[in-house]
Amino acid sequence: MPWYLYLAFKQLFPTGRRFPFFTVISAVSVALGVALLIVVLGVMGGFGYQIREMITDTEGEIQIKAQGSISHYREAVKKIETVPGVAGATPYAAGVLMVQYQNKPAFPQMRGLDLGSINRVVSLDRFVRLGSLDALDDDSVILSGGLADALGVRLGAVVDIYTPLMLSRKDSEVILPRTAKVVGILEIGHQQLDSSTLYCTLRMAQDLYGLNEDVHGINVRVKPGEKEDAVVSRINEILPAEVRAFSWRDSFADFLWVLQLEKNMMMFVLLFVVLVAAFLTMSLLLVLVLKKTREIGVLGALGASRRQIALCFCLQGVGVGVVGTGAGLALGFTVLHFRNDLVRAITHVTGGQELLARFYQFSELPEHLENRDLALIVVAALVLSTLAGIIPAILASRLKPVEALRSE
Amino acid sequence: MSNPILSASGLVKTFRSGDRRIEVLRGVDLEIAPGESISIRGESGSGKSTLLHLLAGLDVPDAGALAWEGVADTGAKRRAAFLGIVFQSFYLIPELDVLQNVLMARRILGAPGAADRARAADLLKRVGLAERMEHLPAQLSGGERQRVAVARALMNSPRLILADEPTGNLDEQTGAAVIELLLGLCRETGTTLVLVTHNAEHAAKCARRLLLHNGRFA
Repeated sequence: MPWYLYLAFKQLFPTGRRFPFFTVISAVSVALGVALLIVVLGVMGGFGYQIREMITDTEGEIQIKAQGSISHYREAVKKIETVPGVAGATPYAAGVLMVQYQNKPAFPQMRGLDLGSINRVVSLDRFVRLGSLDALDDDSVILSGGLADALGVRLGAVVDIYTPLMLSRKDSEVILPRTAKVVGILEIGHQQLDSSTLYCTLRMAQDLYGLNEDVHGINVRVKPGEKEDAVVSRINEILPAEVRAFSWRDSFADFLWVLQLEKNMMMFVLLFVVLVAAFLTMSLLLVLVLKKTREIGVLGALGASRRQIALCFCLQGVGVGVVGTGAGLALGFTVLHFRNDLVRAITHVTGGQELLARFYQFSELPEHLENRDLALIVVAALVLSTLAGIIPAILASRLKPVEALRSE
Repeated sequence: MSNPILSASGLVKTFRSGDRRIEVLRGVDLEIAPGESISIRGESGSGKSTLLHLLAGLDVPDAGALAWEGVADTGAKRRAAFLGIVFQSFYLIPELDVLQNVLMARRILGAPGAADRARAADLLKRVGLAERMEHLPAQLSGGERQRVAVARALMNSPRLILADEPTGNLDEQTGAAVIELLLGLCRETGTTLVLVTHNAEHAAKCARRLLLHNGRFA
């Protein structure tokens, strides 16, 4: 082992001292920064991951859309289901409605489902909280939990439904709403979808929007292990030019971009914590250089080169980075592991556990840390700690042995 | 003198103090034969330590020439193998135990092997610290620390040892014991010794005695 590596190690972990002040303070500061990054990015990644899961759970991995509506959808679905990599396809109609219950209006998103094929793409059954998907017919609807709560609707209630088509009728005509019985309350687990969505049969949606035999789109489920983009290309090859298939990434590109931007901004801001830790390490190393001026002089007198002396101090910065990052990883993953217990403990003290669950719609705090983010955290902590060692190292290497020895 | 181990001619060193120029060394000439022991005495501020730093290659003279065994290279790499230095304030590395402090001189030349460890242990035995090898410098007395410094200076079997007032921080009895040890080990190993000291008794134990006065040898 080169002497400068040996001495750097010994100065970080001196013989006979269990808690060397410099090492502990510097490593703890780096560890806290790394742990904070891991926890925040892990939880934020978890939210993003849950949302992405929710999108593919409810929409399939591929969406097929046209400029207007899609005609002859049954043939299209049949053709799509023959494409290699496709597990199933289901048509849908969507739009905004007005729903009224006891003079209380709401304007939910409508989702018209083809009951014959929906389960091949989306297993909606598992999200039904009250009632049953089997009870859904052309005269009934299922409401999202938030919508049912907002209207004060219970299972079995009858709601009035108004569509935009009714607005185009002549003034002399009386607008008569369509009535439907509520046969289910559904909760997917995402605030946006659960706050205001009405599910009905495709036939009912087609009637409400005057689509006749057309649909607004087709959702496609991809077989496990298949690459979505490859399947999209294969589907597009068999579709007419005016109808196009998009992967969920393309369909939600803006949303995903915002999610990524939020995460990147969070990482950028939190990296300042590691930066401050690196400055602390640098300050302590500078103090160490001043304290060890005579020892640096002796090393020079013993024949150590300037480069070697610089390396000795720079390696101490690296050492702090390695120890701090290791401790930060352990701390961060421990906190992530016990995150739900911590949230429960905090909300137990502060209250608001139900509010938290209602607002975020996650019964458990999600966690998903991507390898790329983990690698970025580790590299950033190590690079910043190494840089923190460079200025003290340059200062130490510039000391002339004779001047260092005279410093007494 | 044939093949001197160290030769210095016309060494001049000047320091600035504000507007003043202080000429500490005014043309020092010195030749030292292999195995010789030399003492350099002089009053405080006479330039003894400055001369020693120049001879060790730790400082550069304003004028004059210095050569070790006829070669002008006095750089760090050559210094590590050619000479050992003993300082007044010991300058041991506090984080390393006694054995590792002695081995540090060897580490700077390259990773020490089993033979080097054995030599370091043997040197510590010879300076009477066989039982203290695993102790830290802070656990030793001043005399013991200086004995460790002597062992460190001898670790690489140097051709020349420069000792800068090695007894300055020790009491009389301990100081005398350290000088005896240093002279004895140098004699035993054939190592050349240059001893800078205030103490006339210690200086008298060297084969050649020089007095530095007014920047020159008297």
